[in-house]
Amino acid sequence: MRILIVEDDADTNQFIARGLAELGHQVVTTADGRDGLFHATDGGFDAMVVDRMLPGLDGLALVKALRAAGNTTPVLMLTAVSGIADRVEGLEGGADDYLIKPFAFSELAARLHALGRRPSTAAEPARLIAGDIVLDLHRRTVTREGRKIALQPREFTLLAELMRHPGRIMTRTMLLERVWDFDFDPKTNIVETHLSRLRSKLNAGFDSDPIETVRGAGYLIKDGG
Amino acid sequence: MKRWWRGTFGLVAAVALGFALATLVIGAVAFETTHEALELQLDHRIAIETQALIDEGQDGHEGVAAAIRRREAASSTASLGYRLVDAQDRPVAGSLDTTVPLKPGYVELLPYKVNGEERIAQSLTTALPGGYRLLVGADRAAIDEMDNRFILLFLGAFGTMLLLGIGAAWLVGIVTRRRLARIDHTAAAIIAGDLSRRVPLTGSGDEFDSVATTLNRMLDRIAGLMENLRQVSSDVAHDLRTPLTRLQNRLDEALRALNPELQREAIEAAASEAGELLEVFSALLRIAEVEGMAARAHFQTVDLSAVVTDVAEAFRPSMESSGHQLLTSVKPGLTMPGDRRLLQQMLTNLLDNAAQHTPRGTTVRIALASTHDGISLAVTDNGPGVSEDEAPELFNRFARVDRSRSTPGHGLGLAMVAAIVAAHSGRATIAPRPGFGVHAEF
Repeated sequence: MRILIVEDDADTNQFIARGLAELGHQVVTTADGRDGLFHATDGGFDAMVVDRMLPGLDGLALVKALRAAGNTTPVLMLTAVSGIADRVEGLEGGADDYLIKPFAFSELAARLHALGRRPSTAAEPARLIAGDIVLDLHRRTVTREGRKIALQPREFTLLAELMRHPGRIMTRTMLLERVWDFDFDPKTNIVETHLSRLRSKLNAGFDSDPIETVRGAGYLIKDGG
Repeated sequence: MKRWWRGTFGLVAAVALGFALATLVIGAVAFETTHEALELQLDHRIAIETQALIDEGQDGHEGVAAAIRRREAASSTASLGYRLVDAQDRPVAGSLDTTVPLKPGYVELLPYKVNGEERIAQSLTTALPGGYRLLVGADRAAIDEMDNRFILLFLGAFGTMLLLGIGAAWLVGIVTRRRLARIDHTAAAIIAGDLSRRVPLTGSGDEFDSVATTLNRMLDRIAGLMENLRQVSSDVAHDLRTPLTRLQNRLDEALRALNPELQREAIEAAASEAGELLEVFSALLRIAEVEGMAARAHFQTVDLSAVVTDVAEAFRPSMESSGHQLLTSVKPGLTMPGDRRLLQQMLTNLLDNAAQHTPRGTTVRIALASTHDGISLAVTDNGPGVSEDEAPELFNRFARVDRSRSTPGHGLGLAMVAAIVAAHSGRATIAPRPGFGVHAEF
C-alpha cells in the first residue's frame, strides 16, 4: 500500500514509517498539517495516518477539509490524549478509525490493513463469503458447506466482523470496539471465550478450523480456506 | 479607578440623598398648595366683606362710609382694614393708610402703614357710583407666618433626614466592612499558607454567615481535592517505582546477557513491563479526565438497562468458564443522561473485579432497579468480601486489599468506577458483608 503519515513527533513518525516500510509499504511522511493536506489531495494513497494535534493545520481540520473536497482515502487518526469525547469527534469529522497513543505497532498495522481493504459501507454486500462459510447479513444466517449453523447474536457479529476482512488480522481491541462497542480493554478474556464458543460451533463436524489465532496480534479468518 | 458609589457607604448615602431630594420636591409642592389655599381663603373673605359693606350702604357711598365707621368703631374685625376715597382720591372713610389703586380688582401685595410701620395687605378695590372707590384689605401676616413656620419645620425635617441618611450609610458601611474584614483576614491567612483557616461565623444565620458557610464548604472541597492530589502523587510515585525497577532490571539483564536468546527474552519482558506501566498511566489519565467531568459535555440519553444486559451477556461465557454464576435482575427501559461507553466501563470494571477476586463457584448478581428518585445499580457477590476497615479505601487510586496483592491489577478499577458514578451525579458505596458488592445510586 501507499501510505501517507502526517505526524509532527519525529520519534513516532519514524517508528511508524520504519515499521510500515519493513512490511513492504511505500511510505510518505510529513510533520505539518498543511503539507499533509497538500500531499493527500495530490492523491494516490491507499491509507493515511494522521495525528490529531499538528502544527499548521490540526488533524481533525485536515480530515474535514479532505472529506469536503470529496477525497475518500481511509484515515487512521492518532491521539495522545485519552480523549473520551475526542474519539467521537474524530470519527464524526471523517476519520475511519482512531488509535490512542501509546500503541503497539502491530495494532497500528492491523488497523491500517483493515482500513485499506475496507469496502465503503454503501456497497457492502448482503452476503459475506470466506472459504466454505457463507454469512447472510440480512437474514442473519450462517452456513458452512451449506449446513446451517446456529449462533448467538454476538457470535454472529463477531464472525461477520472477521469475514469483512478475510485474511486480515483483527486485534483484540478492534474486535472489542466493533463487536461490543467497548473503547477500553477488560481484564476478563471476553474476546477469547466468545471466539472459542464461535469456533466450537463452526467446527462441529468439520476437520479444519477457519479461524486462525495469530499469537500476540489477534485473529483472522482464512481467505478462500 | 475607585468609584466611591460602589462602596457600601456610597451606596447607602446615595439612596439617602435620593430620599432627601424626593422629600424636598414633595415639600415644595405641599408648600405651594397650602400657600395658594390660604390666599384664596383670604380673597374670599375680602370679597364677602366688600359685598356686605355695599349691601349695608344700599349702593350709596354715604351708606358705605357709615358702615365702615361702624365697623371700625366696633373694631371687631381687627385683621380687616377699609378705605373709601372719592374721585379725587380724597379719603372719605376708613383708616387703612394706603393709596387706593385706580383699577378695580384684587391686588395681592398692597403696601400700607400702621403707626408708620410698612406692612403688606391683600386687597380688593371696588368702584362705587360717583367715582368713589372702596378698598377692603386684609393683613398678610397670617399667611407669611404660616409660610415661615412651614419652611422652618420642613428644613428641620429635611436636615434630620439628611443626617440620619448619612449616619445610616456610615453605620452600614462600618458593619459591612467589619464583617467582610473577617473573610478578608481568613483569605489572607490562607494565601499566607495556613490552609486550615476558615471564615468565623457569628451564628446569627444572616447573609454574611451564609456566604461564610458557602466559602468554608468551598475551602473544605479544595482542601479535600488537594489532599487527594497529594495522596495520588505520592501513591503514583510509590506504586510505579516497583514496575520501573523491574523494567530497569530486565534491561540490565538484556545488556549483560551473552546468549542472544536470553537477551531477547529479557527485552521482551522489559517491553511487557513498559506496556504495563503505560497502561497504568492511561488508566490514571482516564480517571483524571472523568473526574474533571469533561465527559458531561457530550452526555446523551442512555438506556442503562440495555447497557447492563449487553455487558452482562458479554461477560457470561467467560464467567461461566471460570466457574462463576452470573445472575441478572434488570428492570427494562431505565434511561438516564450519560456516556454509554463510560457506563459500560463501569460495569466491566465491577465484573472484572468479581471474576478476578472471587473463587470458583461464586455467584455474582447484577441488579438494576428504579428507586423513588432515580436508578439503583448493584453488583454483588457471595465471595470472601473485604474487611470493614479496608472497604472505605477501595475507591481510592491504587487501593488494594491485602488478599489481592498477588493477583494482577493496579487498584485502579474501583477508582474509575467511583469517578464514572460521580460524573453521572451518582453515589457509589461498598455493600456491607457478607460477600463484596458495589451499590451505585443515580
